[in-house]
Amino acid sequence: MSDFQVTVKEVDNVVVLATDGYLNNIGGEKISEICDEYLDKGKNMFLINLEKSTVVNSIGVSILIEIIEKLQEVDGKLAYCNLASIVEKTFNIMGLTKYSTIYKDEEAGISDLAS
Amino acid sequence: MTPDSQYKDKIDFYLSSLDELGEVLINQEGSSGITKAVLRIILGTMMASKGSIIGIKRTRCNILSSHGVKIDSTKFKISSSEKESLLKYKNSNLNKAQLKKLFKSKDQDTLSSYFKALDPSIVVPLFHKENLLGIVALSKKFTGEKYDAVDRNVLEIICNHLTDSLYNQELIANVKDKRMELRLKVLELQTLFDISLSLNSVLDIEDLSSEVLIRSVSTLNASSGFILKTQKNSPLLSMLSSFNVDEIKIKDAMFSKSSVPFKSIWKDKESIKISNHKDNPLLIKSGYKECLVSPIIGKRGILGCIVLGDKESREGVIPFEKNDIDILEALSSQAGIAMDNAKLFQEINAAKRFNESIMGSIATTVITVNLLGEIDTINKAGKDLFGDKAKQIIGEHYSFFFSKDKNLCAAIDAAEHELETISELNTSLLTKSRNTKVNYSVAPLKDEKNSHIGLVVAIEDITEQSKIKNTFKRYVSKSVVDQLLDDDQKLNLGGEEREVTVLFSDIRGFTAMSEKMKPKEVVTTLNSYFSEMIDIIFKFDGTLDKIVGDELMVVFGAPIARDDDAERAVKTAIGMIESLKKFNEKRVKKGKVPINAGIGINKGKVISGNIGSKDQMDYTVIGDTVNLGARLCSFAGPLKIIISRSVKNEIGEDYKTRKLEAIKVKGKRKPVEVFKVLT
Repeated sequence: MSDFQVTVKEVDNVVVLATDGYLNNIGGEKISEICDEYLDKGKNMFLINLEKSTVVNSIGVSILIEIIEKLQEVDGKLAYCNLASIVEKTFNIMGLTKYSTIYKDEEAGISDLAS
Repeated sequence: MTPDSQYKDKIDFYLSSLDELGEVLINQEGSSGITKAVLRIILGTMMASKGSIIGIKRTRCNILSSHGVKIDSTKFKISSSEKESLLKYKNSNLNKAQLKKLFKSKDQDTLSSYFKALDPSIVVPLFHKENLLGIVALSKKFTGEKYDAVDRNVLEIICNHLTDSLYNQELIANVKDKRMELRLKVLELQTLFDISLSLNSVLDIEDLSSEVLIRSVSTLNASSGFILKTQKNSPLLSMLSSFNVDEIKIKDAMFSKSSVPFKSIWKDKESIKISNHKDNPLLIKSGYKECLVSPIIGKRGILGCIVLGDKESREGVIPFEKNDIDILEALSSQAGIAMDNAKLFQEINAAKRFNESIMGSIATTVITVNLLGEIDTINKAGKDLFGDKAKQIIGEHYSFFFSKDKNLCAAIDAAEHELETISELNTSLLTKSRNTKVNYSVAPLKDEKNSHIGLVVAIEDITEQSKIKNTFKRYVSKSVVDQLLDDDQKLNLGGEEREVTVLFSDIRGFTAMSEKMKPKEVVTTLNSYFSEMIDIIFKFDGTLDKIVGDELMVVFGAPIARDDDAERAVKTAIGMIESLKKFNEKRVKKGKVPINAGIGINKGKVISGNIGSKDQMDYTVIGDTVNLGARLCSFAGPLKIIISRSVKNEIGEDYKTRKLEAIKVKGKRKPVEVFKVLT
């Protein structure tokens, strides 16, 4: 199977995760682990750049929902940017967008989450 | 403190606990928060140091909240028989002895093992109707006292509330699950809808297959997948697209439709699920634990198949369900239709390119006109013919575009109404220019059902041919002109030595005869005579070289040489004499003087070409052969034909001749042999 890659950076107290690959169980778990790691460090603002993840399945989505639930307990937020239209549609249908925000790009996401 | 006051204090204590419980159940958010708070209230109310609230779903036990228990694991098992035995204690509780009797298992991951660690003195099963939702287990009181009846009653009251809370949480979780399932269904339907939309718009087979594959993999939560397609004249299947697969492993693998598992799919045309077959070559090659294979069926048979592998869940790979197969079949059937469409589109494009290439390569202008009279297409020859005007032709009404050519418009109109082909030859095309000469035909255009769908106008530009015809038509017959036009290699007007047969004819005594006639009558008589003679000359493809006074000079073998030049010259001469005899009969009947011509024919080498000045140039032949021909003509008597030896040799014995006495000719040392053709 092809590898799911995540690169992480911190900008203005926002943890930005840039993913590459199929956001499925493996991909979702990888994101979840990274979020847990940063949650333990006291970070609660996360932005996932999905520009290179144009395919998402419902397992990946359910993991994102779990991350949102965890973040709600610490007044945190999970947001996404650079979504392919098909991914955005999936997020809408799966109800993800009720609890998280979609931004056009990283810049817009970071400036909103950091404020 | 009196027993009454002690009792009152205890009642107050219990009441405050129940009050706190009410607040927790109303205000606390989240299931884990509620169970933690409820356990705290229970432990405080019962004065126990250790205790747990255990959630139970089927045979799985989950420690929802615990205090004072030193055990890492939070998940245990409960057997069905243990659950059944607990039913006896519904709305009641168990003591240590009863518990020991009931939970005997020594396995580590069982609830028995957990109870060993907790060592509870009292256990309350949390039943909602017959459904065991959980268990509350408490150790002994830290005061060392035993649980009395009031304790048990109060614990039961709290546990009843906890049961309601767990039941509500389960209901909420079920609603959440159902909502998730519903959303997944919406996602599946949306995917099918999106695919049908996008498949109609995507006409590239590779793009199309990639779209279908990605949607199939993501909708069915497969870990990866690939599409194989059939190949012409080979049982081997080739990789059309893949997603998230082990590139090296899959792409190097060889799949054949005549081997397992594809053979049965190709035979039955049905989707299959392959699992638990360690020897299955597809599972070995793909590395999947389980996979679904669905054929992509087109109108002409199976076009290929979609393979999806390993359905994902949070707990790892789970089996594909029947519903997954149904969805994959729906997607692959859409793919089949779309791939057929894409293939058809490719074929239509190829046919269109083929037609365009044919239309582009033909020299005739071809224009199609639709039922509204608008010009739909024009080929390359047409664009060349009309030049810049062609840029505006598409979409223009024919009556506007050809407004200067009323006859052509009328022909289009007539062809449309009468549904017949209308043609016109050698006519002007003023739309192009005044000097343009064309042949055109307008024919109804029909579709495959023979329905009238428009018109096709074919225009052949004959301007160049017309020029040549105009140049030669006075000298040679139409068939010779056509030969020249068919093969311009035959046409060499630059001057060359060649062998020809020359025929001379002149009218005996014409000068004396014309002196007795009016000038107009002379011209009329000569024109009638020449008209009759030239008809015969052209009939035998002779080239009328020149007319000088009453003399005709005809060449056979220039500009086009033929094997029977001499014979045709003799035939022409015979024809001319016969025609002249009939011509004279008419003249005599009208009281006119008959015309008597003599004919001489010679064959030999001449110089041919365009001879003359810059302003006046004619195609002719010169040389001794010509001169002798003229001499033979002057030697021939009225209505007689004299030929030379060279002509006699060519015509052989087919024509009756009589050898005459050899004649002396100026410039020739020896007398020349001559023959009279007997007519």
